[in-house]
Amino acid sequence: MKLSVWELHRLESSPKSKLRRILERGLSILPLLLVAALLLEYKLIPNDPKYAANKIAYPVSDTYTVFVGLFGIALLVYFIRSLFSEKAYERLVYKAPLYCVIALLLMVYDYLTLKTGTLPMPYFPWVDRILLAIVGDRKILLYCIAHSLVLLFNGYLSGAVIGLICGVGAGWSPKIRYWVMPLVKLLGPIPSTTWISIILIVASSLFGGSVFMIALGVWYPVTMSAFNGVSNVDKSNFEVARTFGVSNMGLVLKIAVPAAMPSIFNGLTQGMGIACTALMVAEMLGVESGLGWYINWQRGWAEFAKMYAAVIIICLTFTVVNLILTLVKKRVLRWQEE
Amino acid sequence: MRENMSAGIGINNVTKIFARQGADETLLALDSVSVDIAPGEFVTLLGTSGCGKSTLLRIIAGLEVPTKGDVLFNGEKIMGTSPQRGLVFQEHTLFTWLTVRENVEFALKATKQYRDKRHEISDWLELAGLSEFADNYPHQLSGGMRQRAALVRALAVSPEVLLLDEPLGALDSFTRMSLQDELVRLWKERGNTMIMVTHDVDEAIYLSQRIVIMSPRPGRISRIFSLPLSYPRNRASDDFTLLRTDILKLMDFASDVREEYTI
Repeated sequence: MKLSVWELHRLESSPKSKLRRILERGLSILPLLLVAALLLEYKLIPNDPKYAANKIAYPVSDTYTVFVGLFGIALLVYFIRSLFSEKAYERLVYKAPLYCVIALLLMVYDYLTLKTGTLPMPYFPWVDRILLAIVGDRKILLYCIAHSLVLLFNGYLSGAVIGLICGVGAGWSPKIRYWVMPLVKLLGPIPSTTWISIILIVASSLFGGSVFMIALGVWYPVTMSAFNGVSNVDKSNFEVARTFGVSNMGLVLKIAVPAAMPSIFNGLTQGMGIACTALMVAEMLGVESGLGWYINWQRGWAEFAKMYAAVIIICLTFTVVNLILTLVKKRVLRWQEE
Repeated sequence: MRENMSAGIGINNVTKIFARQGADETLLALDSVSVDIAPGEFVTLLGTSGCGKSTLLRIIAGLEVPTKGDVLFNGEKIMGTSPQRGLVFQEHTLFTWLTVRENVEFALKATKQYRDKRHEISDWLELAGLSEFADNYPHQLSGGMRQRAALVRALAVSPEVLLLDEPLGALDSFTRMSLQDELVRLWKERGNTMIMVTHDVDEAIYLSQRIVIMSPRPGRISRIFSLPLSYPRNRASDDFTLLRTDILKLMDFASDVREEYTI
């Protein structure tokens, strides 16, 4: 009797009481109901008088409606799937409390800002205002994202490549280690953003200076992790490879580096976090474009909605960047034990 | 009865002294060890820990250099490692970041035999019973499978000599026994010289034509046994047991005193 994993799970889990099953049914439809309530709340409850009176200073649009609508449609699709598949149903029930809380928070926030003004402008823009800010400034934001990413990758890749060469070299050859280790010990503990004042004066181009600062921040964790990784490779790997006649360079590139990859990726992940931080600092202190600069610019105009919009965009951008790094890591390290 | 005096491996008065890590003293690991191994022979180096058997194997492999004396391979002094002297360790022999198939390919590519022998890879994998697992990574295999893969990779480059450092030491006894049969089978088919280090007396008697018994502190050869039994050998036969008793007595693990009974 060949069972699927799902059937095994059903067989082994204890039966649910009638009350539990009714509650779960309710839970599966609750997010949808709350989203519908959210839309009704937005459309039917009147906005606070001081906002309703001045539609130019306080525009209210249907961008939010579309946004919530998309959320609702996704939930609807999920719900319909749950009617046909046990697995989808269980997953929906598992995720439902989270979706409900999200819907409730949105509702409460909208009520407190747009409908009653309890949380006042300009510090607490309602969600639609933030969405309008994104849509309105989308060209500039896209340009800023591109600029930030270019700076990030230039800095990250330079730092990572030099770090790998230093780290693998130091791990393999005592001579390279002799020169690299003092540098690591000296520069390592210093946060790379400390150099920003010097860079602003000395660097001929702000872009170059920022790339240098980001690269310096990435260099340290990558060097250390590569050094540790290579140093800890089991010597028998090299011994066996030598019997096959592998040259010294081959031993480094084909044995040491692949074997040290788990450690190296730890360093690369750490370096990415440092690079993102250094990027924001560089943009806020000097570089004349990019998301960090955009936040500063909007702060100068007290455009809080646009500031929050930029923060959200930064969050999404870095999430995607880290996701890409994770996917690369999963592919390269597919030989590892889970 | 060797036809060609210069073929095979000649170990001449090899002495190996190590500098002790951390202390200001030296350790005499091997004291003037000499033995000749003919081509195609199956020889085991047997002894307790500290008798220098692994050190001797590593010197034959070319991984260590003797302090005094030398080792000749086919008449020439050994200077470093060679694909003609393949290595299998107890653990960590396979490259963990490559699949089984890729491990074998690596060996063939490194020894520049890939183009000639790539079609043999599937045969080797089948011989080792690993055809189904060819594209798996070492962490997905059992210990026995990993050692079989390591063996097959070493043999795929057609070495004249195979050096094995306690290859079955990390395995449970049943896997060990079935792999011992595989070792004999592979040896009979390929005809290469096998030099194996082991601390297991039964394993040495089951597998080899000659056993070099070594004693520790300092490492010396105490005696060389010739085993004229035919293959495959029977672990339960009288001859086997007699040899076992002799060897254990020599190594001081058995005595002539007869059993006493308590009533």
